[in-house]
Parts: sequence; C-alpha cells; structure tokens
Amino acid sequence: MITTILILLPIAAALAIWIFPWRSQRAAGSFALLVALAELALWVGTALNFDFGATGLQAEADVTWFSDLDVAYQVGLYDYSLWLIGLTAVVTAAAVGYGFWSGRERLGVYLSLLLFLEGATIGVFAAQDLVLFYVFWEAMLIPLYVLIGVWGGPGRLGATYKFVAYTVAGSLLMLVAIIATGLDAGTFDMTQLGGQGTSTWIFLGFAAAFAVKAPLWPFHGWLPDAYRESPPEVAAVLSGVISKTAAYGFLAIAIPFFPGPAEDWRTPLLVLASIGLVYGSLLAFRAPDVRGVIAYSSLAQMNLILIGIFAVNASGYTGALLQMVNHGLISAALFLLAGAIERRTSTGELSLLGGMARGRPVLATILITTGVIALAVPGSTAFAAEFLVLNGIFDIGWGWAVVGAVAIVLAAMYMLRLISAVLHQEPGSAVPAEALDLRPAEVGVIAPLVAVLLVLSFWPAAITERVFGGIF
Amino acid sequence: MDVLAWTALFSPAVAVVAIALLGERIDRRSAGLLASGATFLSFVCTAALFFQLLGREPENRSILSTPWTWLTAGDLKIGASVLIDPLSVFMMLVVTGVGFLILVYAIGYMDGDDEERRYHAYKALFIFSMLLLVMAGNLLLLLAGWGMVGLSSYLLINYWHQRRAAVEAGKKAFVMNAVGDATFVLALFILVQQTGSLDFSTVFAAAPDALGDGSTLAVLVALGLLGGAVAKSAQVPLHTWLPDAMEGPTPVSALIHAATMVTAGVYLIVRTSPLFELAIDVQELAGILGAVTLLMAGLIALVQTDIKRVIAYSTMSQIGYMFVGVGLGAYGASMFHLMTHAFFKALLFMAAGLVIHALSGEQDIRKMGGLARELPWTYRAFLVGALALAAIPPFAGFFSKDAILSSLIDQGSLGWILWGVGIVGAFLTGLYTFRLLFIVFFGEPDPYVREHLHRERFEGPLSMMWPVGVLAVLSIVAGFLQVPEQWHLVTEWLDPVVESVPEATGGLALFSILASLGAATGGIAVAWALYRRPGDRPAAIRARLPWAANALEHKLWWDEAYDALFYRPASQVATWLLGRIEGPIVLRSLGGLGTGVRDVSDRVAAAQTGRVRGYVLALAVGLAVLAIVFLVVA
Amino acid sequence: MLGPGIAAYLILSVVLFATGAFGVLIRRSPLIILLALELMLNAGNLALIAFARQLGNADGQIFALTVMVVAAAEAVLGLGLIVAVSRKRVELDVDRLTSLRG
Repeated sequence: MITTILILLPIAAALAIWIFPWRSQRAAGSFALLVALAELALWVGTALNFDFGATGLQAEADVTWFSDLDVAYQVGLYDYSLWLIGLTAVVTAAAVGYGFWSGRERLGVYLSLLLFLEGATIGVFAAQDLVLFYVFWEAMLIPLYVLIGVWGGPGRLGATYKFVAYTVAGSLLMLVAIIATGLDAGTFDMTQLGGQGTSTWIFLGFAAAFAVKAPLWPFHGWLPDAYRESPPEVAAVLSGVISKTAAYGFLAIAIPFFPGPAEDWRTPLLVLASIGLVYGSLLAFRAPDVRGVIAYSSLAQMNLILIGIFAVNASGYTGALLQMVNHGLISAALFLLAGAIERRTSTGELSLLGGMARGRPVLATILITTGVIALAVPGSTAFAAEFLVLNGIFDIGWGWAVVGAVAIVLAAMYMLRLISAVLHQEPGSAVPAEALDLRPAEVGVIAPLVAVLLVLSFWPAAITERVFGGIF
Repeated sequence: MDVLAWTALFSPAVAVVAIALLGERIDRRSAGLLASGATFLSFVCTAALFFQLLGREPENRSILSTPWTWLTAGDLKIGASVLIDPLSVFMMLVVTGVGFLILVYAIGYMDGDDEERRYHAYKALFIFSMLLLVMAGNLLLLLAGWGMVGLSSYLLINYWHQRRAAVEAGKKAFVMNAVGDATFVLALFILVQQTGSLDFSTVFAAAPDALGDGSTLAVLVALGLLGGAVAKSAQVPLHTWLPDAMEGPTPVSALIHAATMVTAGVYLIVRTSPLFELAIDVQELAGILGAVTLLMAGLIALVQTDIKRVIAYSTMSQIGYMFVGVGLGAYGASMFHLMTHAFFKALLFMAAGLVIHALSGEQDIRKMGGLARELPWTYRAFLVGALALAAIPPFAGFFSKDAILSSLIDQGSLGWILWGVGIVGAFLTGLYTFRLLFIVFFGEPDPYVREHLHRERFEGPLSMMWPVGVLAVLSIVAGFLQVPEQWHLVTEWLDPVVESVPEATGGLALFSILASLGAATGGIAVAWALYRRPGDRPAAIRARLPWAANALEHKLWWDEAYDALFYRPASQVATWLLGRIEGPIVLRSLGGLGTGVRDVSDRVAAAQTGRVRGYVLALAVGLAVLAIVFLVVA
Repeated sequence: MLGPGIAAYLILSVVLFATGAFGVLIRRSPLIILLALELMLNAGNLALIAFARQLGNADGQIFALTVMVVAAAEAVLGLGLIVAVSRKRVELDVDRLTSLRG
C-alpha cells in the first residue's frame, strides 16, 4: 500500500493541478511544493519502518492485470530500491523548490510535470512486473519531453528530438525483449524470473535501453544538448535521478535475469564503460561551459557506476549503489548551482566567468564543497564509493582498476578547473559587480543536498550496511 | 582514553564548522582564537595521551578505538578507527604542538587580511585532516586524512585566489598529490584482495603469508605506497609542486609545507614498514629517491632568489634525508629528524615571515640586505634556525641529522653511498642556508629596504614573536633527546611499533660526526667567502659554469618536462576528442540518420511522376506479369 | 446454337480490348483515352455476354449491365474533368498534366 501511495501521490497531485481551476499559478506551485515535501516525508517514514535485516521484497502490492499473460500490477521495495526512491524524493523536492523560487512561466504546470516525472520514476524503481516496468519507463519520457521542449533553452527542439529519438529506440528494443521474456517464461513477474534467461539477443535488447539512458559510451549523443538546454532543475532531475533508472535496470533486471549472457558480454561492456569514464573526464577537462563540464563529468560518473555493476560482486555492486546516491545528490547540487550562476551572469561560458568568490562566501563555500566531493577527494562519500567500485573491478582484472585510478587524477583536474574558472582570479566579463551571493532560498534548496553528502562522508556505512542484504 | 583521542581529533573540526557557520558574526581575531584554541585543546589531549601511554608497559601501548563502522561491502569491513600508539602520539604532538604555535603566529601575520576567517577555518581543517592521517587505525582512513590534507593544502595555497600564480600552484599541488593517491589506492586493492582487510594489525600480520617476501605483489604494494609518499613529501619525481606552493601565505608554508603535510610521506613509510620490509628493493628505492632529491634540491637552492623558495628547496632536501633514513630502516632517527626539522624549519619560515611582513610583502632577497641591524631579534631567530638546519652542535639539527647518517654507515655499500651523498648534502645545506642568511641580513641595506622597511616598537606583533621564540628554544634543546651513545629516547619510544636499525658506535660514529661537521662548516665557510660582503665572486663563478647556472635556475626543467609529457598531451587529446569525435560523430549522429531517411524517401518519391500514361503502363505490365504467373503456376 | 461459335465473340472481344489498351497507352489526348477506355470496357462486356449466352446463365448479363453503369459514371467524371481542364485554357495533353507529382 505504501509503495502505491509513493508512486501515485505525485501523479495524483499532477492531475489535480491540471484539472482544478487554481486561483493563480503560484497557488498551484505551492501545492506542488507541498506535495513534493510530503512525498519526502512519506519516504522517510517508509525508510524508518523498513527492515534492513530481512531479504526479499517489502511493502508489496499485487493486483492481477491480464490474467492470461500473467501480467500484474505488482510493486514492492528492496533495500537498494528504497535508497534510490529516497534519492528521487530528495532531488525532486529540491528541484521543485528551486523551480518554485525561480518562478518559471506557467509555474503550476511546470511543477506538476516534475511531480508526474517523480511518480513515474518511483514506479520504475518499485515495479516488480516487466510490463508495469515498461509502462513506467515510457511514462518518464512524457513529462521530460514537455519540460525540455517547452521550457528549455534556445536549442531545446533539437535537444528534445535527439533525447526522445535515442530513448525510444532503446525502449522499443527493450519492449521486444520484455515480450520475448514474458512469453517464453509464461509470466512477467520479476520476482520469479531471476537467473534463467540464456538468450543473448534478449539480454542485448534490455541492455540497449539501459545503455542509452545511463548513458553508456558511445550512446551518449543525446546527453550534452539535453543537459545544456534543460532548465536547471530539470537537468538536476535528469542527471541525478533518471540516469540512475538505467543503472538500476542493469542491476535489477538485465544481469540477474540473464547471468550467462551478462558474463559473456562483460568484457565488451567493461571496455565501453572504461572508455566512457576516461572520455567523459577528458571532455569535462576541456568543456568550455559550466553545464558542459557537469554533463561530461556526469557521463564519466555513470560509466564508473556501470563498471561497478558489471563487476557483479559485493564490492562492485555496493560501491555502484552508493555512488548512484552520491552522484544523484552531487549532480543535482551542481546543476542547481549552475542555475544560480546563470541567473546572475546570463551565461555559462567559463571564459566569461571568474572571480565570483570575492564577496560571495556562501556560493564559494558550497561550490567548493560540492566540487571536492564530486572529484572524490579521499575522505568523501564519493571516494568511498569509488574505492568500492574499483576494488570490485580489481578482482575481475587489474587493468580496469588502473584505468579507474587514472580517472581519479583526471577528475581532480576537471573539477578544480571548473571551481577556479568560476570563483578565482579577476571577475569575468559576464560577472556584474552587484551579482548577489546565494539567497537564503537557494541555500535552503542546495545546502540540504550537500549536508546529506557530508553526513554520508562521515558514515557511508549508513547505506552500504543496508543494501543487498541476502544477495551478497 | 578514547575520549581524549576523539576530542583531540574532532576539536579542530568543530572549530571549522563553527567558523563557517558563524561567518561574519564573530570578528576576525576571534576566528583565529577559535582555531588556535581548538588546536591547543588537541595538544593538551595529546599530551595527556602521551603521559597515559608512558604509564603503561611498552608492549601495552597500542590502543584501537572504533566507535562506528565507516564502510562495508560484502565481507570487507572498514571501521572508523583511531589508533593510539607511540608513533601516532609522537606525530600528534608534533602536529598539534607546532601547529598551535603557527596558528597563533598566523593571527598576527594575517591580521587585516580581507577574508581572514576563511584562513583560520582552513587552517583548522588542515589540523583535523593531519590528525586523522596520523591517528587512523586503518589504511583507508589514513588515505582519507591523506586526501583531506591535500585538499586543505590546495585551499590554503590559493588562499589569495585573485592571483593567477596562486591558483595555478594550488591546482598543480592537488593534481600531483592525486597522482600519488591513485598509486596508493592501487596498492590498497592488492591488499584487500590478498588479506581481506585494511586494518593495520590484520594486514601486517597477514602480509608475510599473503604477499610473500619479495614477491611481485609485495613489490607492487610497496611501490603504490611509495608513489603516494613521494607525491605528498615532494620527492623526486613528484616534487615540482612544492616550490610553487610558496604562493600561499607564509604561515601556510611553515605549517603545511615544512612541518607537517610534507612529512606525511615519511610517516606513511614508517607506519607501513612491515609492508616495505617485504619488498626491500622498493624500500631501498625510497632511500635512493631521497638521496637524489637531497642533492638536487640542495643545488637548486643555491640559485634561488626568493627567500621562501630557498627554504622550500631546503625542506625538500631535508625530507630527502628522512627518506634516506627510512629507506635503510633507520626509522627512529628519521622520525627524530622529522621532529627537529619541524621546529627549525617552521622557525625559519616564521622568521622569514617576519622579514616579509616588515618589508610589506617583498620576498626577493636581492632587494634585502643589512637587516641584522634593523631586525635584530628576527636575525637572531633566523640564525638559530640556520645553525640548526646546517647541523651545527649543540643545535637540534646536528643530533638528528647525525642520527640518520650514523645509521647508514654499517649497512653495506648502498649505506655508504647514501652516507656520502648525505655528507655532500650537509655541505650544500651549510652553503645555501648561510648564503641566504648573509644576503638577507648582512651587508648594506638595499635601497628597497630603506624605502619600505617599517619598524614598530617591536619587530612584529606579539602574537608573531613569541611562537618564534618558543621554536627557537626548541631548536636549541630538542636535539638532546637523542645523544649518540648516551641515550636514544625517540628510537626507544618508537621501538614497540617499529624496530630501527642500530646506529654506528665508537670510531665509525665519531668519523661520521666529524665528516658531517666538517662538511657543514665547509659550506658555511664558502658562503662566508662568497656572500659575506657584496662582491663579484658569485657572478664570476656563474660565468665559469653557465650551463650549470642555467640548469639550476630552470630547476632542471622538470616543470617543462611534465608539461610536455602529461599536461599538454592530455589537454590536446581532450580538445581533439571534443572537436573531432564528440562534435561530428556523436552529436550529429542522429542528424545523419534524418538526412539519410530523407534521401531514400526522395528517391522513392521520384517514382511518382504524375504522368498518367506511366501509371497505366505500370498497371498493364503488372497485370500481365500476374496473369502469366497465375497461368504458369496453376 | 444459332450464329457463330463463342470463339468468334471472344476474338472480337480481345481485338477490341487490345485496341482500347493500345489507345490508352499511345494517345495523348484525354478525350481519346476516355474513348479507348470505353472500348476496353465494352470489350469486356462483350466477353461477359458471350459466356452468359453459352452457359445459359444470366449472371454474365447482369454483370455487364453493372459494368455499363460504372462506365457511364466514369465517363461523366472523365468528361467533367476534361471540360474543367479545358476551361482553364490548359492544353489537353496527358503528358503535360503532371501536377500531382511526388
């Protein structure tokens, strides 16, 4: 029941905003913000009541949909999906908060789309039936299409087109794979499907969809434009949460259901992910704008997460999941900060920025803190996760770990470049002297994300002790 | 006991958070008092821990405290553990003691700076990180402290972030340290794979069986750790960041780049000596790298014209001595030298800071001179530091450097070679140190000095002067902790943790002492001859060896080499990828699809000519074909 | 059975059909094409009626009546189009009337 509420509350709120005649857009927006916070509270309650010692599905709901094909509305929570849902709730709350404060046009509709997206994403993480999973997977696309296509920047149409075309191409392959799997096994119930699949083609069908969404190199053609043209809070959700659904897909579906093909394809997938890690880091090092750096850094981090998943061992999986949560928070914070910078300077071009630290201590502190956690400085939670991932992949082959170690140095290079280009030396030509420090509202939205990261840096075991119980 | 340890560790951290959150609500001086007060509290706790350890039997002096689990994955479990043993307490005393003095000094030095609170917060963050490093009970937490120390260093080097040089120096320091972190982490993977843990006790106990003596794995582990140590301690080949780090304020240079952070590499090797002893070749490599650094840095220091850069290269050189020591197993002697070096090097930096402060920020020694008359107290402090550095008895440096040198003698041919290098190094040390002293403090004051020197009643604020005084006293007396053949307090204190090789005794020891003393006084004498009075002799020597002077002035072109080998290729590859691969191939890939589809459809549409007769003909032909097929098939 | 055998009717039908088809393919004036089309249709009618007579079955005759209706309707449409086109003073040449092109 609670799972269904977690999924449907944001969707119902979105519908309510669309249908009811609201007094003003701002009133509708306030309602949306309230719902986002309520959802977060609901998740906290669920987490507190969750039994992390038990293995298996919790908070289950099972209602038959097509009995002849054994398709059901079946949802439930595992320990790892609980954390991912929590990430969704936190990042969406921050995004809605930021969107509310920055006052987009037609605010109510805008925020309601974010809520709808939240509901669909939670559905993806909670679904235990393949058809239901597919429904929610596609449902994520609709609000994103509108959000980027209507509220995006100057190049939004091309960005949206590319994003949708790539994603749908992958999802259609996954649909074929799902149908084949379900008909083959006689059921679409995910809890019963583990470990039997042997078909390479079906595995690749699933992998195609997840590879495009993650994105795994070289399927990332949609990423730079989508991240650049989206409004900051949409980019935060896109990079922070939606990309994790793809990693979740690998982790919960593709690899467990098809262990044989996964093992066969492990090396090619690792090659692609390793290339993506280094490629993303190098491109982030030379990207000319703030969003570009964050986008390519995101590409690199997602590929790192995939490396952990492809290791298929305790260390790799745990590290990957921890990094999923970390990167979700980091990416969201960075995109919201990018939004703050763009508000003040109307540009993201690094050559036009600089010297923003002077007189803006809050901005400087939060940007530096987020930045050093992002580059996984030893002592941070991102480092703990990266250590586990690389430790896991070291067992598979030491070469992959060496590539990861190189990426550690590259991450330092690109992140420090970003920090310095924005904050240090003389004020850039686009930085007006009267540009303000971070306002209390902005701090109120971004600081909690950073605070969670700091808490996790002190205690990463908060998550790592409470995942994959019983699997490893 | 646990409470004391955790208080010592977290007291500076609390100070950082407090300063950050209170922001402009406290005045600047209070921020400084908060930071230094927190450090003093750590020092007091550490002293208490020290006395508690003293009260125990030597075998019983290792206490591990793990209040919570930091990280887990499957079978791997890493606790948030703190280890209190003679080695960690020794380092804690140095860090908190010298750190406290420097933080107090900084209150005066940074007074009036625009963002002073930020400075004190960063300093406190550094103390916390360094304490975490030396107190960590497992390798991962040590690496965490290691990384945060690098972070604090970055934040403090580019403290004056409006200056391009400072920003670049900070990035360079961090990235080079990151290279060390990368090799460190690879060593940790091997250890996890072979021993299943990263706790010191578990790993050291399991290592001989799990890794094997002299095996490839043991060598790789040691190399990985050595890579980290070399980066952090600015030894060849990862040393180029240290001179640039002088862009930071002088108290930063004193604390981080002389007394504490750069010694972390030495601490690491001592702490993980059981692992290094399984790969003796790598351990000796550490000694060799130390020797190379020792010489190279000593030579480069001879031509430097910035007062802080001379002292920086001197630091590099002295840490080379420590590496030489640990390379051949003289752990006690190296830690002893670490301690005395912290005292006199911090003293030198702080005295230099007084000079810079008096000259309103000038650091070029060619614009100084005759300051002994103008700043007599500073001069005397500097002299004490210089004598300690040059290892003249009874100053501290003599005893500690001698301890290392006499430990090298009886250790085979490598020992003798390194000893020889050490003696040459002693000569160079005397030479460059007193060159600096003479140029800055003797002779006639440069015109610049006459214009810019501002003297108040005291040579500097009180908060700057008394820490200098304390350090001067320590530089004089601390040496007596280890007197050859009488007592070896430091080595004995550290014995439960690491067993050091014995020092030479009798005639050999005396020979070593006389040789090093001779070399040092020789260096001072040459400096006296060349630099006591302004003259042409230095220029004449430079004219005779132009290539040598050129090479040294370019710091042997290490920076240029790294730029060409690593930075520029990385940048070029990245730019090329961005332009040639990402742009055309990845971003425009779907565009190709779209135009391709349109092409095909254009071609197909060409069949629609609009001519009725064509359509009819097609109809007729098709019909005929169908009819024939039907007739034939049927 | 009165009159010539069915073969004669069929041959005549084929000749008429071929003539009509030839006309549709070769001629350029829409009017003549329509004429030729009528020829083809009536050729088909002839064949239908011949077979109906031979089989003694009225189905063929009814089919032929239907075809005549369709032919009439189509002639109306075709002539209407031709009149409309000629009103626009466009040349009545089928090779020139190609606006509905792909």
